[in-house]
Amino acid sequence: MKGATAGAPGEHAVRWPPDAQYGSATPGKVGMWVFLVSDAFSFAGLLTAYGILRSGAAAWRHPGEPALDLTFTAGLTILLMASSVTNVLAWLAAHAGRRREAAAMLALTALGGVLFLLGQVQEWWGIWGPGLLREGLAFGQSARASSFYAITGYHGLHVLVGVFYIVAILLQYLRGRAGAHQVELLGLYWCFVDFVWVFVFSFVYLFP
Amino acid sequence: MEAHIRADTRAQHPGEAPRARRQVAAVFLALVAMTGVELAVARAPAGRAAVMAGLVGLAVAKAALVSLFFMHLRHETPVLRWTVFGPLLAPALYGLVLAADAAWRAAP
Repeated sequence: MKGATAGAPGEHAVRWPPDAQYGSATPGKVGMWVFLVSDAFSFAGLLTAYGILRSGAAAWRHPGEPALDLTFTAGLTILLMASSVTNVLAWLAAHAGRRREAAAMLALTALGGVLFLLGQVQEWWGIWGPGLLREGLAFGQSARASSFYAITGYHGLHVLVGVFYIVAILLQYLRGRAGAHQVELLGLYWCFVDFVWVFVFSFVYLFP
Repeated sequence: MEAHIRADTRAQHPGEAPRARRQVAAVFLALVAMTGVELAVARAPAGRAAVMAGLVGLAVAKAALVSLFFMHLRHETPVLRWTVFGPLLAPALYGLVLAADAAWRAAP
């Protein structure tokens, strides 16, 4: 039975003996999971507040407020899921020692994150077309507007941090200072961003 | 005790990597299809409660696919899986209580 690998880059990794409860999961992986669960609670808090505000409101969408573009956001959702796929492929390639492919997949993942953020910029401020702010959905004018910007902004911040995280690991990977383990930990964070978006998309955009 | 010690052996043997890639592609296609279904459900001329229940069900199914396949939780030990999913049951339960409360207050 194999132990877990952790620490530094691929070939020089520390080997941990398998654990009775956590198997081959490294301390780094368990630590990342604990962080992600705590981060999930911050989103749960925001979405719970959203539910309380919405269920207590006599009218949720005020006259003059624009509707959200569901089709456009569904496209962003698929883009984010595609970037999770490239992330998993990066880990598979790194695990198999195909370094060039792993680096290319990481770069594609970062590109997916940047495109998602550009989509959010388009939605808020407008790159082509006016954007929600100019259409009349201003932060602070209603519970609907404030909760929308708070939740999607908090998620967007996670995407931005994720893009920096990917670029940092990619640079270290290219210099031989990071290996498959670091790519896997990064993948957990990035897929968590996708995991949380599933609920944001349903609750904030799709709920009637 | 040995039964609880599982190493993640994914893609460690010849032929495993192509299978893992096919699996990732299949999960992605399922997620895309479910997103399309979500759009259809959101626009369906059905009751609000039915639409919301359908959307919550689809969201939970999508999140399960992402966590089990993309985040490799499927390959982890039951203890690690419960370390992750256990605490997340608390906000889910709280959401159910809130929904029941809202329904009770809205009832005539």
